[in-house]
Amino acid sequence: MLHYLLMCRSLTYAQRASRALERIGISAIITKAPKSATGQGCNYCVKVSEKNLTRSIAALVDAGLGPTKVFLVTGEGSVSEVPG
Amino acid sequence: MIYLDSAATSLQKPKEVPLAVSRAMSMMASPGRGCHRPAMMAADCVLNCRMLLASYFNAGEPENVIFTFNATHGLNIAINSLVSKGDKVVISGYEHNSVTRPLKALGAETFIAKSRLFDKYDALEAFKQALPGAKCAVCTHVSNVFGFILPIREIAGLCRELSVPLVIDASQSAGILPVDFKELGAAFIAMPGHKGLLGPQGTGVLLCGHDTKPVLFGGTGSNSADSLMPDFLPDRLEAGTHNVSGVAGLAQGLRFIMSKPKNAISRHESGLCRAFAEKTRGITGLKMFLSENFSAQAGVISVMSDRIASDELAERLGKEGICVRAGLHCSPLAHETVGTAEQGTVRFSFSPFNTVAEVSYAADTLKKILNKP
Repeated sequence: MLHYLLMCRSLTYAQRASRALERIGISAIITKAPKSATGQGCNYCVKVSEKNLTRSIAALVDAGLGPTKVFLVTGEGSVSEVPG
Repeated sequence: MIYLDSAATSLQKPKEVPLAVSRAMSMMASPGRGCHRPAMMAADCVLNCRMLLASYFNAGEPENVIFTFNATHGLNIAINSLVSKGDKVVISGYEHNSVTRPLKALGAETFIAKSRLFDKYDALEAFKQALPGAKCAVCTHVSNVFGFILPIREIAGLCRELSVPLVIDASQSAGILPVDFKELGAAFIAMPGHKGLLGPQGTGVLLCGHDTKPVLFGGTGSNSADSLMPDFLPDRLEAGTHNVSGVAGLAQGLRFIMSKPKNAISRHESGLCRAFAEKTRGITGLKMFLSENFSAQAGVISVMSDRIASDELAERLGKEGICVRAGLHCSPLAHETVGTAEQGTVRFSFSPFNTVAEVSYAADTLKKILNKP
């Protein structure tokens, strides 16, 4: 199943992003960003479903917690950055 | 045993503090070092405390709240971020070694805004005279030796007018007196977690409102492939594993304070000062450093005897079960300012858990010792 990873500046931002999304009823699990995608190692993302992507980004931008990058993860596990 | 050394470290804590420490030690790992449950529990604990502190001190975003090992650590970060060799730095005449030593080490040109004890007007005037041309100012909110409450709002206002970044040492005021980061507009406010905030030793907090320069470099659990420290807070200033159990306890200390009515703790400590001063009035040869009506004094009273050296007096009090601190209290500058550097003083400092009965007993014991032929 498709899902998206919203990459955050830090774990603290990821936690705040996750809490902000959970507050509006969107499931947002904190997960480590795949190093293959970010190249930086030790970054954190929140994982949201395809149907919640647009609403999630809007809510995070409103809260000043906009993601630094967005990645699409396919059912087979391939990761690709979603152009801004 | 009666503990009256809370200006060094508060000993009595709300019962929730050690429980939280113990729970964190047995259940939590390290934030930012994985997404497994113990790591995320630790991360939640740290963020919750950060948010609580940001709200209590009106510090804005939780990222502005940095966990340090103590106030000294925070002051070192703040001073290192603002000061270079040869910079003019204005400090009050009541600063602790945690301010004067880092300034000395950096080669700053320190200018002391000397003022009379408990004279807020004089303190403000001294800063007014000294501030022009300064690269930054550092001021304690409350003297750890004499309990003198400096006019920090007014000094902060002056610094803002002159665009001089201000570092506030809130070691003796955090958790006791109002400290509003946004209202003060300070560059940094440093404080310990283990004094007025009633947390465990090994905890401290730095509120950041200015660009920062790390003093510790290492793993942050973020941007690991980068050889430089992250450019974002709090990671930039929090290298290495957090004191998670300490932070868990600190959050409980803060919750206890936040559950009290506004100013209740400072009123309580002020009441203890009055009771102590009343009881010790008239002891022959005892000099007490008291502010008129306690209007410029927090819950700290320094005394000295003309007959018994301060160290010896504290030792005798200790034998009677009264825990106080004697000497220079790591603040030789404050003693030089007041003229007590040669003998030092004996300091009685109070906490929300001390009672009038305890303070009266301490006063009676002091009287008994000093009245002995």
